Amino acid sequence: MFGYVRPSEARLSEADKERFAAAYCGLCRTLGERYGLASRFILNYDFAFLAILLWEGEAPEPLHRGCIAHPAGKRPYFPGNAALELAADYSVILARWQAADALADPGGGKAKYRLLAAALKGGYRQAAARRPAFDGKVREQLTRLRALEEGGCATLDEPADAFARLLAGAALEARDPVKRRVLEQLLYHLGRWIYLVDAADDLPEDFASGSYNPLLRRFGLEEGKLTGEARESLVVSLDHSIRLMGAALELWDFGAWSAVVRSVVYEGLFLVGGAVLEGTFHDGGGAKGPCRGNKVQL
Amino acid sequence: MTDPYEILNVPSTATDEEVKKAYRDLARKYHPDNYHDNPLADLAQEKMKEINAAYDAIQKERSGRARSGGGYARSGGYQYQSQYQGGYQSQAREGAAVFQQVRMAINRNDLGLAEQLLRQTGEHGGEWNFLMGMICYRRGWIDEARRYYQTACQLDPGNVEYRQTLNFVENSAGGYRPEGYETWSTGCGGSLCGRMACAYLACNMCTCGSMRFFYC
Repeated sequence: MFGYVRPSEARLSEADKERFAAAYCGLCRTLGERYGLASRFILNYDFAFLAILLWEGEAPEPLHRGCIAHPAGKRPYFPGNAALELAADYSVILARWQAADALADPGGGKAKYRLLAAALKGGYRQAAARRPAFDGKVREQLTRLRALEEGGCATLDEPADAFARLLAGAALEARDPVKRRVLEQLLYHLGRWIYLVDAADDLPEDFASGSYNPLLRRFGLEEGKLTGEARESLVVSLDHSIRLMGAALELWDFGAWSAVVRSVVYEGLFLVGGAVLEGTFHDGGGAKGPCRGNKVQL
Repeated sequence: MTDPYEILNVPSTATDEEVKKAYRDLARKYHPDNYHDNPLADLAQEKMKEINAAYDAIQKERSGRARSGGGYARSGGYQYQSQYQGGYQSQAREGAAVFQQVRMAINRNDLGLAEQLLRQTGEHGGEWNFLMGMICYRRGWIDEARRYYQTACQLDPGNVEYRQTLNFVENSAGGYRPEGYETWSTGCGGSLCGRMACAYLACNMCTCGSMRFFYC
């Protein structure tokens, strides 16, 4: 997971912002409690959004406590609950396999992934034992993805489908059958969107290193950037996945999280996707560019 | 039945106009065209039934007399004529039994069988490409679906069903947005300022007022 999924602050009330920050900090604390300090470094917005989607029932009032990462003042957080524990377990499994996948890639820049894989080794074993079905799904789809990439698959949809199914596996433990169906569809298209946006983000680097990138293969690109026609095709694909996410989310009542979920799907994803295509996503120190002025400050 | 006012999310003291507006907003959200070929279409249909029943119950209570008729048409409400309704009959013109079988398999969501049947046929005309597009779309393979729909439209430019379906995939502005959210596209860029202009120009959203530049 890559930190692309974030709400647009402009759409959130003060209470919504505090609730989102409390979910983020709550997930961080839950990761620490279950998997140790090192696991807290895998935290990003994507995992916080996953916790929100998996939330059961209403959100309580956040508690406030000091935080090692933010020494000035107290931060809102939710104490551990079933959704935060589920999201923490899934996060560790996903991060571990993401590190393994990066290490298997012929390209360079592996030091941080070696460190991550080593730090998550024990935690991953615990998380996989807690969530064997999800671990099996992730393993199965990443094996498929690797085979497609090694075979130089020239479609966008097939490799994106592997990552989409992997993420849709996170809906497996939703108790309500309607919610499970809604989340499966929402997470499928979120996974598809993440895979394609990440491919666009990595395009110049992959072109330079000769690594596999589905956009290079699908559009037969001769440079490390999208042509006008390729960009237009990718935009249609991303927009339509967002549209299908919206159609899915409206079929479930996310209660107190409705505003956050809507601000991610109906605005945040468009902003982040647009910034990635413009090449401005990493401007201003990491991923702050796209939502500058309308990003939730954590 | 659950309180009809609760279903429409209005207080029982709401005026007739407020009730009608709430009903129309919800109907717009769960409109069958928003769930065209969608694996969750049955859930949206259930929602529509609930909303229709709630609106009818309120109308009945307020008018003090039973309303006649049913279905999707609501007096003063929203008309639900799906633009895709006539589509599925078009294969009769083709007269190809195998394409009918493929459509039936797609409708049962048996996409493996549908693809197998199509792969066995030698004729790759408009209908073949259209049905391959439908199979891809059902799988969530939007890029491939669009390519097949484009080929179907090129091979059979007069076919309304093919054209409508291609438009549906390409037109991101057609989907539902909650009140206050613009009809944006990823192609509009990554800043709110640029997007305001893009939404304004591309989508002709006259609601773009000066307040939106507050965020710039």
